[in-house]
Amino acid sequence: MRPPAKRMDVLAAADDLRRRTLVELTRPLERLIYLASTRDYNTGLYYHQGLAARFSEEAACEALAGCHREAFEELVDASLEELVYELEMYLHSTRVAPSDFIVAWKGLEPYRVAVPVGIDSLSSELVFSNLKVALAILESRLAARPEPGASRHLSPVQ
Amino acid sequence: MIALLLYLLVGVGLLVFLWLLARRKGAPVEGCGRQFVEARQALRTLQEGLLPDNLIQRIFDRHDFRYVMASSPADIGELFLQERKRISLMWVRRVRCEIRNLMQFHLDYSRLHAKLSLLTEIRLGLDFALLLLACRALRILLYVRGPYGARAVVGVMTAAAARVCAASEKSLAFLNPPALEAFRRDSAGDGAAI
Repeated sequence: MRPPAKRMDVLAAADDLRRRTLVELTRPLERLIYLASTRDYNTGLYYHQGLAARFSEEAACEALAGCHREAFEELVDASLEELVYELEMYLHSTRVAPSDFIVAWKGLEPYRVAVPVGIDSLSSELVFSNLKVALAILESRLAARPEPGASRHLSPVQ
Repeated sequence: MIALLLYLLVGVGLLVFLWLLARRKGAPVEGCGRQFVEARQALRTLQEGLLPDNLIQRIFDRHDFRYVMASSPADIGELFLQERKRISLMWVRRVRCEIRNLMQFHLDYSRLHAKLSLLTEIRLGLDFALLLLACRALRILLYVRGPYGARAVVGVMTAAAARVCAASEKSLAFLNPPALEAFRRDSAGDGAAI
């Protein structure tokens, strides 16, 4: 187990993270997915090479965890309308065919592994539930206006 | 003679009453630390996880309902109502569970440590009773009328829960002395350690 980082270091690392990396990711859903990807599934610890080199591994880990939690809390507070917009913006940023994206997200529910540690299960269930409905809304909208680049061969994700 | 018999009966009655009181099993004082920590955990879950205004507003907000109904097909509206009903029922179940934990703690242990006045104890008892009743009523209303049919009961329930939390906070205040709080603030504030 790592020793806890000093609070000043964590604040400085979080500030650095927000200014250099997260500034590119303006939407909370983008930030959530990105920050969850910096977490090791086996240890639950976050890792960011640049941040760890500039500060310390402990400070970087706690800064990433704090920003991850912030992004998740923004999604808890988001209305369904905002969440549909979030999802649409995220879909555009991935440059994946919308139909493929919908099939993958409905089948795999990748947002379930993107929850920060220590979040109450009710909050996470609320976000999952809202994302499920938001996906259904987005799917119906996309069906109403199919995009020319959409994949023709859809296979359901198991 | 009749008066003597009456006095004897009253005397026997008092003795039986004393015997019953002596037989009542009180909670053991030894090893009750775990119960205090569990009660603290229940209180924290209520205050930080289940009762924040923004969360309750999100769950029972009509704006989401209006948005879905105005912009989506009927089947998505159905899906939304089903999901919101599931979440609201989950919320009531969790609140009820944590309230019962706190009530058990108050019944068993809190009077050993907290100096609660009789009036406060009566108020607390009434609040617990009101809360459990409101939880039950809310569950029935949610089943029958859906997630948007019980706004008033949600208000009553959250107000009573806030009062119970405030009273419990006093009983458990000794678990977070200022020195510990200061230490907690200075160390891993963002809680990354697992």
